[in-house]
Amino acid sequence: MGGSVQRAFLIAVVGATLGLVANAVSPKRVPYITPPVVELPATDFIPLDEAKKAWESGVFFLDARSPADYEAGHIANAFSLPAEEFQEHYGPIAAMITTDMNIVAYCNGLECDLSKDLKKQLNELGYAKVRILQNGWTVWTNAAYATSKGKQP
Amino acid sequence: VKKFNFLLRLIIGGWFLYFGLLKIVEPSTIGPWQVPVIGQIDPVPVPTLHWDTPDNFAKNIGNFRMVPRAALNLMAITLPWIEVLAGFMLIVGFWKRPSALLIAAMLAVFLVAIGQAVYRHLDIRCGCEGTTGGRKVGTVALVEDGLGFLAALWLSFWYKK
Repeated sequence: MGGSVQRAFLIAVVGATLGLVANAVSPKRVPYITPPVVELPATDFIPLDEAKKAWESGVFFLDARSPADYEAGHIANAFSLPAEEFQEHYGPIAAMITTDMNIVAYCNGLECDLSKDLKKQLNELGYAKVRILQNGWTVWTNAAYATSKGKQP
Repeated sequence: VKKFNFLLRLIIGGWFLYFGLLKIVEPSTIGPWQVPVIGQIDPVPVPTLHWDTPDNFAKNIGNFRMVPRAALNLMAITLPWIEVLAGFMLIVGFWKRPSALLIAAMLAVFLVAIGQAVYRHLDIRCGCEGTTGGRKVGTVALVEDGLGFLAALWLSFWYKK
């Protein structure tokens, strides 16, 4: 018993070492200690009332959640661009937006990072005017604003 | 029983090997559709593996709210390799009992993680199967891991000399 536990521990140590070595040589290496969260400036967010006005004036809304979540219900007229599957879904969206357009990204939950991820990815591509409606789906539905269901039109 | 145990080793070991690998290289670079077919008219390029970034997996682990943020990267860097190594050793049959024990221990930890997430109604993806896509964590993952845990435990008892 003792020998096996020690050996199991040894496997874990060797595996962990491999991981450390792999990270050291990987072009996509990350720091060993996770850096603290960088808080986005308040100007990166759009308050609900402003978002509603923007929505009424036809501003482009992007749903950063999964396609399944989008299908189950989303802000009316919003398009789906899942932050976690950006590459696969970016093509059709790219045809509809330009870099100087105002864009509102949202996901759901106060600690949801998807809209932040989406904003970051869009920013890198030159879309500078992306703002986040925090806890978007919840605050939008709580306010009983227009929503719809189903797949991407 | 021997055959059954062999099969069980392949399943559990393969499970860890495959899903460990998915977290190490970009998922799109492995997959059955990229296996070159011999004799096919158009030569299919041999897939080149690309490193995946541990960022996504670190985020997945973070979603469970169990590990302090500073430790997330370190876990995401090391855990997949431990899974792969343990899975590989279980398959080839070198140090069967230790690797089964290690897998059982990992699954026990995952079980606790998933269990508390379900209990707290955390809406997260479990990161069990590579890092992109993935399902919402729920009772299915719980049952899967539970079965895996029992199987690994069974193996580690069976291979007790």
